[in-house]
Amino acid sequence: MEKEELKQKIIEVIEKKIKIAGKSKVYLKDLQKDIPGVSPRDIKNAANELVREGKLEYFSTGSTVMFGIPGVGMGLEAGTEKPKEE
Amino acid sequence: MSEIKKHDTPLVDQLKTGPWPSFVDDIYIYAEKYKKQTCFDIMGQLELSYKNKETHWKHGGIVGVFGYGGGVIGRYSDQQEQFPAVWAFHTVRVHQPGGKWYHTSYLKKLCDLWDHRGSGIVNFHGSTGDIILLGTVTEQLEYIFFDLTHQLKQDLGGSGSNLRTPSSCMGKSRCQWSCIDTMAIEYELSMEFQDEIHRPSFPYKFKIKVSGCPIDCVAAIARADLSIIGTWVDDIRIDQEAVRAYVGGELKPGGNSHSDRDWGPFDIKKEVIELCPTQCMYWDENEKKLYINNKECNRCMHCMAVMPEALWPGTDTGATILMGSKAPILEGAQLSSVIVPFMRMEPPYDELKEVTRKAWDFWMEVGKNRERLGELIQRIGLNRFITEVLGLPAVPQHIREPRSNPYVFWKEEEVPGGWTRDAAEFRKRHPA
Ligand code: SF4
Ligand code: SF4
Repeated sequence: MEKEELKQKIIEVIEKKIKIAGKSKVYLKDLQKDIPGVSPRDIKNAANELVREGKLEYFSTGSTVMFGIPGVGMGLEAGTEKPKEE
Repeated sequence: MSEIKKHDTPLVDQLKTGPWPSFVDDIYIYAEKYKKQTCFDIMGQLELSYKNKETHWKHGGIVGVFGYGGGVIGRYSDQQEQFPAVWAFHTVRVHQPGGKWYHTSYLKKLCDLWDHRGSGIVNFHGSTGDIILLGTVTEQLEYIFFDLTHQLKQDLGGSGSNLRTPSSCMGKSRCQWSCIDTMAIEYELSMEFQDEIHRPSFPYKFKIKVSGCPIDCVAAIARADLSIIGTWVDDIRIDQEAVRAYVGGELKPGGNSHSDRDWGPFDIKKEVIELCPTQCMYWDENEKKLYINNKECNRCMHCMAVMPEALWPGTDTGATILMGSKAPILEGAQLSSVIVPFMRMEPPYDELKEVTRKAWDFWMEVGKNRERLGELIQRIGLNRFITEVLGLPAVPQHIREPRSNPYVFWKEEEVPGGWTRDAAEFRKRHPA
């Protein structure tokens, strides 16, 4: 699979998960499962490139990292906003 | 700026009464001096956690600076009304230098940076090895990263499903026992695997630790998915003169580390010979000479630790490569298992990189979400992992008992004629 095609596919997989399962964050492994036949390393590289392009963002618990689409689901600030200055 | 608000912290204050210096004192002294609301709020929230016996941090969120998938661990308070200064209290992991050597001018600069852009609270070092800068807000992250990389020439470490910051003992820079250049290996692996440190790549975390000898000061065998431990293949070097000096009492055993009380005269038989786990040492009282059957020595280092001026590791050195240790989340704690009993450690360490990549490729392919390498090895079996996945020969060092196998298991293709045999013919000779 060409890199651009793979990147497109990754976005599609995540969008589908948001629509069907209501899951806004996915693990690398989830992507692998849904894009069979492509090496995990290529998927990793493509997903990370999408983050650099701003089309995906990381979400971390400290111990693991997930990928999501910016602005969808729990955001980088974990659903919190900085309290307004008085 | 509004008034500084202090909180009552009677439970936290109890920690000050113990015999050791307390972080409570340290943080309060610092907070008073610099009027840091963050420090007062963090103690306030800690008090609340002690009272409620539960954490008040939310889990998850920001991971790093732009383009990095690790290095920053997002923390958000769920008590933002009460403790607004710690609404966000992110942790920044900084890649520590090899062997954790610093110049004081560097430390001063780092402290200045953290006074200015963070809470001022640091932890040297986290259990992975990084410098831990505790407590900052999201807006500061890019500035911190810029200052770190441009002024201090230091990078962020790993967190999340990344390669975590490799760490090593001080090795040859200070320790006479080091069989390998631990700091060089740590540096080389860090540079080689930059992408894996900064970009999420794996099903879960992966740690690399390098110890120069089996004393294993960085606990590589217990705390790293890839443990690299220096060892030797020739004979232990013996200075018989020095051995006699220990026996005669002129040299103090254990580098005089037990001088706090009188343990009586040194007894080489009781304290060394009989404690050798493989019983491979012999002290000839008449000859006044120490013998070691090096073939049986398992390099536990006990004898060397007791008589450091008399015994030294050999000079033909390399490392034992082990994989799979982890803390007890699933299946209990595990130590690393020997994968390659002896590997030469010459730059650029290609053999080491190759076996590491092979293990990663398999783990990335077959590992489950949040499954450590050690758990995967357990799931598929160590024998399969070594022979089929890594393509390495099975050797006696892979198992502890029995080293000489009384049972032989044959595969069908190894037996002439396979498993098919004429049962009727067999029964003629062996009635049922
Ligand atoms: S692990 Fe061995 S070589 Fe490294 S510092 Fe400890 S004793 Fe020295
Ligand atoms: S290193 Fe350990 S096993 Fe080897 S000779 Fe010394 S005490 Fe015995």
